[in-house]
Amino acid sequence: MSTQVHATLSEDQVEQISEDLDEPEWLLETRKEALAALSDLEMPDVIQTPGRKWTNLDALDYETLVDPLDYAQDKDRIDAEGVDVLSWSDALAEHGDLIEEHFGSVVDPQRDYLTALSTALFSAGTVVYVPEGVDAEDVKIRTTMNSQSLFNYTLVVAEESASVTILERQTTGDDVEGSRYYSGVVEAVAGENAYVQYGTLQNLSEESYNYQVKRGHADTYGTIDWIEGNIGSRLTKSNVETRLLGDSSESQIVGAFFGHDDQHFDIAARVWHEAEHTVADLVTRGVLDDEARSVYEGVQDVGKEAWDTSSYQRENTLMLSDESEADASPKLIINNHDTEASHSATVGQVDAEDMFYMTSRGVNPERAKNMLVEGFFVPVLEEVAVDELRDDLETLIYERLRE
Amino acid sequence: MSSDQDHLKETDTEARFEFKKEENSAFETEKGLTEETVRVISEDKDEPEWMLQRRLRALEQFQQMPMPEGWPGAPDLSEVDIEDIVPYIRPDIETRGGAESWEDLPEEIQDTFDKLGIPEAEKNALSGVGAQYESEIVYQNMQERWEEKGVIFCDMDKAVQEHEDLVKEHFMTKCVPPSDNKFAALHGAVWSGGSFVYIPEDTTVEMPVQAYFRMNSEGMGQFEHTLIIAEENSEVHYIEGCSAPKYSAFNLHSGGVEVFVGENAHVQYSTVQNWSKNTYNLNTKRAICEAEGTMEWVSGSMGSKATMLYPSTVLKGPGATDNHITIAMAGEGQDIDTGAKVYHNAPDTKSTIESKSIAKDGGRTNYRGLVHIADGAENSSTSVECDALMFDNDSTSDTMPYMEIQESKVDVAHEATVGKIGDEDVFYLQSRGLDDDDAKQMIVAGFIEPITEELPIEYAVELNRLIELEMEGSLG
Repeated sequence: MSTQVHATLSEDQVEQISEDLDEPEWLLETRKEALAALSDLEMPDVIQTPGRKWTNLDALDYETLVDPLDYAQDKDRIDAEGVDVLSWSDALAEHGDLIEEHFGSVVDPQRDYLTALSTALFSAGTVVYVPEGVDAEDVKIRTTMNSQSLFNYTLVVAEESASVTILERQTTGDDVEGSRYYSGVVEAVAGENAYVQYGTLQNLSEESYNYQVKRGHADTYGTIDWIEGNIGSRLTKSNVETRLLGDSSESQIVGAFFGHDDQHFDIAARVWHEAEHTVADLVTRGVLDDEARSVYEGVQDVGKEAWDTSSYQRENTLMLSDESEADASPKLIINNHDTEASHSATVGQVDAEDMFYMTSRGVNPERAKNMLVEGFFVPVLEEVAVDELRDDLETLIYERLRE
Repeated sequence: MSSDQDHLKETDTEARFEFKKEENSAFETEKGLTEETVRVISEDKDEPEWMLQRRLRALEQFQQMPMPEGWPGAPDLSEVDIEDIVPYIRPDIETRGGAESWEDLPEEIQDTFDKLGIPEAEKNALSGVGAQYESEIVYQNMQERWEEKGVIFCDMDKAVQEHEDLVKEHFMTKCVPPSDNKFAALHGAVWSGGSFVYIPEDTTVEMPVQAYFRMNSEGMGQFEHTLIIAEENSEVHYIEGCSAPKYSAFNLHSGGVEVFVGENAHVQYSTVQNWSKNTYNLNTKRAICEAEGTMEWVSGSMGSKATMLYPSTVLKGPGATDNHITIAMAGEGQDIDTGAKVYHNAPDTKSTIESKSIAKDGGRTNYRGLVHIADGAENSSTSVECDALMFDNDSTSDTMPYMEIQESKVDVAHEATVGKIGDEDVFYLQSRGLDDDDAKQMIVAGFIEPITEELPIEYAVELNRLIELEMEGSLG
């Protein structure tokens, strides 16, 4: 199966975007190559079981969703001392070589159809550069999407012994007729002993189709932690991945989602252990109401050279409605026996005994249920080290419960 | 015990399990599986027209369906040459019903029976003509007792002739249709041999029904079909195979098992697969379970080059229960891809899946399982537990569960762990005077204990022995 390339998508448009951003030649070439590759690329992988495809991306009509030259958005960037948080044009002017070195080194620009489309057409985004030894907290990026389609590209480079915490919020602004398409790529490079924490809170309008790839490379003693909060959008296909390339590198992927109406979240967390003494911890909790549906894939891949690996994964889904559906597939791929690995997944509803206890204490059932759902998220929220992200997430959960 | 152990170590396990294919040029068929071949099979068996039609329809589906490739981590089936299957089918037909077939087995197999310590009577029953007589008596005795109760236990080809209505209704219709997968379709086209078991209402067969005894006199098929029908309130335990290595002249085994569990009936299906290590073992096994019925699968996968086996249960009636116990052990050059499938299609259904796998010497084990809870299957619960043990760094151990939950009033839990054989455990046992090999064997025996517990004692003993045999080669 190969997907139809946008009939109105042309090299001219790509050149136009590239020119607008005042890009160097190599980046334009990368874009053009991605564009040319579109016709041969497949849609991102989705889980298939006999007779079922967990997410049907082929049904998406990109023809009508994508308008490459309209990329209206609002962007707030709050930087921290010693860190460069820049738009692409500024970043290319200041750190051209650095960007050329790392761009596309973590996320293959031609990984699949949607990623290539994103590479060819990205017009918004941020470059975060943390020089050696700099310790920065609270870098904030807020993206408000004001167009029908938006292709956002974020590159994070943390040099040796640098540390940074980045919080990204994604929302939609002006009303746009019909459906929207948001595509986000995040590449994170953590150098030796560097620490990158990247939190995303996705709260796009519920007419939005959302595709995200977040992927990081962790060098020796490096750490990459991801926090992935999904509240908005109509359909989300998100991939959060870390390659543990250096000895003693670590990664934690924390996920939370709350779906209602006919929202569909397809969320994947993947870790590759490719060096010695690496540690990974994948924790995701989600709640589904109404006709919402969640698809979760977790992969812990332990390579042949990954001696002394520790790898853990937990996924819990709470179903509030009979019309909802929760699919899960936590996978273990172990090629080194010097490994301690486990995963678990559960699906259930609000515990009847807990409800009984609460109501017997005089709490009305609705309130009791809300309290229990909020409580369900606590183990994940506790893992969120960014206070602001945790508060926001809590607020959004609180609001959704009381809609 | 100790002298026994020494005796076991004297022979090379690997060599004992590898058999040369016997040249058999007596039969030559045209390349490829054609309608003609299928017609010949059917004619040889003197089958009714409807069975021929089913075979032909299955053949058509087989030709149209794709190979089960492209799954994440699917075993390599490129060596399975469909074109080559045909020449193998005809000799299979010729040997079917040949009581002498066991005599033709290589000596090594009979030798292995000794090594396994299979009970004397059973060993005799398997390896010689005189013993064949004995096994016939046992079989006859059992048969008489069952017949009084209306129990039917016969070979599948005979069932097509003598119990046509029952077979016509249940054979590859609502349980495993040929369209299920490519090898089920192949099976539907060329199946031969197997068992037919019918347990009438309110009947309990106390003694396990063992296909072992019967199959040896009938000749083992490569495409044997087992059909078990357990009516309301009946109970039966069916044991197939056991732990002796099954000699295979062909490199493809594609069996089909269909089980119908009536209301409040209880069926246990136990099998320990130990095909020679040139065999591709691609089976389709499925049970349909009515209200309050219980289906239990106990499977051990030890042999074969590659196995793809996912016994499945459809919990059709309210209150139905499914239990899966699987154990897989993969050594050098083996890819054991096995698991379980359960469909919860009714309220108050329960399932448990317990999987243990051991990978060593570069072997690969994979648990691949699917639990589907349909909308409306209220108060269903499922628990899946997978544990894997790895011996060395050349081996691979994968776990790929899939859960599809469309109902909220459920309790779903999945857990998996992977670990190496614990150095501390080995050290502890060694400090108590055991040598390294014995310590590791003991740890493995403890690891699979929950599974062997479920087997009748003589099979549990055999399984343990088999694992010891498999392990000794690598642990010296």
